[in-house]
Amino acid sequence: MIIENVFILAVIAALCGMDVTAFGQFMICRPIFCAPLFGYICGDVSTGLWIGMIAEMLWINAVPLGVSVPIDITSVSILSTFWACKFFSDTQPPAIWGLALAVPFAYLYKEIDILGRNFNIKLMRWVENGINSGKEYRIDLGVFISLFLFFARIWIFYVLAFVVGGWLFQGIYLQFPVFVISGFKKAWYWLPLLGFGAVLYNFRNIKLPFVRK
Amino acid sequence: MFKTRHVMFIKAFFLQSLWNFERLQNAGFLFVLKPFFKRIYKDAQERKKAFLRHSGFFNTHPYMANIIIAMVSNVEHKRAAGQEISDVNALKSSLAGPLAAIGDSFFWGTVRPSVSFVCVFLVILFDKVLNHNLLGYSVFIPLFFLFAYNIIHVPLRYWFLFVGFKLDRESLAMISKLEFKFLWEALRYGGLLVIIAALFFYFKEFGFSPSSSILFGIAVPDAVVFAIVFVLSILLGRLSATLMFYLVILACMITSYLGI
Repeated sequence: MIIENVFILAVIAALCGMDVTAFGQFMICRPIFCAPLFGYICGDVSTGLWIGMIAEMLWINAVPLGVSVPIDITSVSILSTFWACKFFSDTQPPAIWGLALAVPFAYLYKEIDILGRNFNIKLMRWVENGINSGKEYRIDLGVFISLFLFFARIWIFYVLAFVVGGWLFQGIYLQFPVFVISGFKKAWYWLPLLGFGAVLYNFRNIKLPFVRK
Repeated sequence: MFKTRHVMFIKAFFLQSLWNFERLQNAGFLFVLKPFFKRIYKDAQERKKAFLRHSGFFNTHPYMANIIIAMVSNVEHKRAAGQEISDVNALKSSLAGPLAAIGDSFFWGTVRPSVSFVCVFLVILFDKVLNHNLLGYSVFIPLFFLFAYNIIHVPLRYWFLFVGFKLDRESLAMISKLEFKFLWEALRYGGLLVIIAALFFYFKEFGFSPSSSILFGIAVPDAVVFAIVFVLSILLGRLSATLMFYLVILACMITSYLGI
């Protein structure tokens, strides 16, 4: 099943992105799930799985806690898998370039997310005013409006990122000298090592004295 | 009442839909409680007061919130029945912090990374067993991740809502004193063992393979390889993962340029 329509792909990506905070937290937003999903949709599940593995391990602690908004690793994994699988047949070096290019997009999405959460303050006050004036239906309406806006902003982000990012991804990649491509090929195998380091950091709670500040 | 609780359970998945920087999960909290308040407060003015009572700041772990929702419902039920209730918001705020800490360390810090890493291990294992041809079987790995995580998460969330109706503040304080640390430590040590096994497979496959010695140009002892990962883990404690990600790519490019 290969889907090429970016509007449909953006719907699937937006549904994955909503899992981060807006609905459920079933972890369909995690790279180990959404990258192979997009790999499957774009016709190369193996590349998706490898990208998902790298991103999952490397950003294993990237979870929104309290008021913190971390880098959006869902978009890192979805965008890099989509670009790598769509534009090139030899996917290893393009996948690493895709990851490298997707990180700034993920930071951009983080800023959009912060704006959305700030807008939610107005929506929450609208709900509160509604309760004060006896319009308690605004509680449900406020939640659904927020969900709709959340979906709309991720959907627009993904449509633009798939198209504009894809154009950048392909255009820049074709200009790279050979040593850069071969560096990406090496990084395909070296980045999981860094991922192992990140997982080890997460699991070990022994802090060596010389590491402490 | 049983049906109302199920509606609340479904609505609890939307707890963070209207998350905002001012009062965080407050609107989601009202959204979950609404069917319950409609049931216990038939008078619209009483219901309005109840909603306004709970429209203040609220933040906890989204899964653990079900316990607080159920306990608050219990207290509000008593209030609706005419009992004197001192301050329900004090109950909310006193529970939110400790439950968030338990949820963050158990779900985010232990269960999710453990399940994720088992899947990473499966990717490497399948890659080795299937001779770099992950197609076909690899579809099961993300499905396994989703299943293994949610088989723990969803029933617990369901149970939290129903057990919360039976708990009071004292029983919760007693639960928080139980030694969960042992369970988490066991999971962490299990995770460490899986890391070592995954590393072993990874290096046997990509580090020293006669056909493709990709990671190192020369044979390197296993101890050195593990030391590199350990050093990377120390660096990741000081530098951000994103920065390290770019540094590794840059290092790969430099070594390629130098022909190493």
